Amino acid sequence: MLVLSRKVDEDIRIGDQIIVRVLGVKDGQVKLGIEAPRSVRVFRGELYVQAQKENLAAASADRSSAKAVAASLTHLGGGDTGTSK
Amino acid sequence: MKWVNRQFGDLDYDENMVIHFAEGLFGFEQYRNFIIVHDVDSEPFRWLVSVENADLSFPMLEPGMILPGYEGHLGKDSEIWVLAALKPNVQQSTVNLRSPIVIDRRSYEGQQIILDDETLPFQFPLVPPSGATGGR
Repeated sequence: MLVLSRKVDEDIRIGDQIIVRVLGVKDGQVKLGIEAPRSVRVFRGELYVQAQKENLAAASADRSSAKAVAASLTHLGGGDTGTSK
Repeated sequence: MKWVNRQFGDLDYDENMVIHFAEGLFGFEQYRNFIIVHDVDSEPFRWLVSVENADLSFPMLEPGMILPGYEGHLGKDSEIWVLAALKPNVQQSTVNLRSPIVIDRRSYEGQQIILDDETLPFQFPLVPPSGATGGR
């Protein structure tokens, strides 16, 4: 890991298209401004990790457990759910 | 096109049914191409099935079934799905309302996003907690 010290209003360039600027530091919290091309997705780390974790849990489902769960979803109405292809 | 999925067996699909995820799904970034499978036995779930990894499929629901009005802010030109984490006990099964799947209806380009709305949980109970009287 590259470790750098920056002051408020200083920035870091990652490649030629990404800028991370320190906007302020207050009460142990660092406020960052990030400029990046639209194609680069920027997430808070913990949200990304949780999204990964939920996907992993979703991917482990099998058809028979879905069937069992579906049977107990009468409150959702079931039946015609519309837009599937 | 023919594809064999471990759970669903032989699948026959048209190339134009393939949803392309340029960034993949979180944690599964290497798989970019999926089809939606409607398995009548497990309705109302639909399945987002990889056509690159025979073991990979995600059960999903239309979010409007879980939280009416959810799609409202995501745009009419997109089809929205939420992935379900299913447990043997339905009470522990959840849907991920925070990072839905968004599919452009015209281009079939798909993306999994993370919404800024912190009131939307990653783990929303699929059924109201027992003892609850509905109205959520």
